[in-house]
Amino acid sequence: MASLKDIRARIETTKNTQQITKAMKMVSAAKLRRAQNNIINMRPYAQTLIKVIADIAATQRVQHPLLTLKQDQKKVLVVVLSSDRGLCAGFNANINKFVDQYYKSRSSDLEKMDFLFIGKKSAEFFQKRKLPIIDVITKLDREISHQLASKVSERLLSHFLQGDYDEIRMVYNEFKSAISQVVVTETLFPIDLSKQTFNKQETSVGFAIDMIFEPSPEVIIDELLKKHFSVQVYRCMSESVASEHGARMSAMESATNNAKAMINTLTLTYNKLRQEKITTELIEITTGAEALK
Amino acid sequence: MKLTLVTPEKRILIGQEVTEVTLPAYKGELNILPGHQPLVTTLVPGIIRYKATNGTEEAASISWGYCNISPEGVNVLAETVETASEIDYKAAQQDLASAEKRMLTETMDDETWKQLQDQLDHAKARLKMESIVKH
Repeated sequence: MASLKDIRARIETTKNTQQITKAMKMVSAAKLRRAQNNIINMRPYAQTLIKVIADIAATQRVQHPLLTLKQDQKKVLVVVLSSDRGLCAGFNANINKFVDQYYKSRSSDLEKMDFLFIGKKSAEFFQKRKLPIIDVITKLDREISHQLASKVSERLLSHFLQGDYDEIRMVYNEFKSAISQVVVTETLFPIDLSKQTFNKQETSVGFAIDMIFEPSPEVIIDELLKKHFSVQVYRCMSESVASEHGARMSAMESATNNAKAMINTLTLTYNKLRQEKITTELIEITTGAEALK
Repeated sequence: MKLTLVTPEKRILIGQEVTEVTLPAYKGELNILPGHQPLVTTLVPGIIRYKATNGTEEAASISWGYCNISPEGVNVLAETVETASEIDYKAAQQDLASAEKRMLTETMDDETWKQLQDQLDHAKARLKMESIVKH
């Protein structure tokens, strides 16, 4: 049986841990709010962009390699987003599990997959597992900026345009809420515009509006597609970061609660033990006094 | 006429009522008044200016952008937008100097040259903002 002193020490350490987890929860909450704002602020930009691309592509009949789907054999680059730091519950484990299964089930002669990892946790996990990894990007966990996303997207784009890959897919934790994140895959390129609903702008008499394009529609769509891509990469990164902080926040929340429960039981045992000791001492004194009579 | 100005990182204006917009368009400066012909154009690094309905004039520097003019108004998507108070003039000066130096001394491919040219123009636009505020 632990002594009183041992229990007191344990209560102290648990209290310290609780303080740390509480602080980490606060920090994650603040970061989560910022990441969420990022996602919301980006929406009008992203939505307008894809709408315009769909409009131009449809009305001007523009062909672009980034819009051409390939049917038969293809090489796929899978970009996996995880975090650099741990202590965020199932955030990284879910991604790892998903990618592992995804690779086993989807990889075939028709689909050759290569992987690019963003974030240390998944990279470390898969480096031991002999997955075809082309690169690892880490140390991203400071602020995710659009600038950073465009750097990453430029690299991915050059792979695509050089013909190294026919498709680029992103695997990341989609942010649903602070307590729920879902691992999703998304095909970033080529863009399937058939899913987009475009509205052919028409004047009141039913003729399409005569638009001026400066420079030509082809050049505009090329530039817009590149921007669209970097925005998509930025969006996925922001989603992943928001999920990470959300996951960490709830993990720290439950850690704090666990610590609280533990302190309660420990205090209870401590008090019981103390009382027991006092009782034994009292008995000893009284029996001693009785014996002297 | 409504002006909307957004970047990937923030929404600057949504449906602001304006009477006049001046944009650094691909083919040179573009002045837009209500009733302009529908137009789609890319924007180059430079300064965007607009006059609100109450007569106040605002300006901001932008890097790459895209602009869509429709009967409803002007829609601008810009990579970065900085107002005069947000600009780091020292950094702009440094960008300008480094771009100039590299363009004069190094040999490079067209891609890099274009990037440096953009960097140069963006830095110039930001520095110009300083003088606009003073007047």
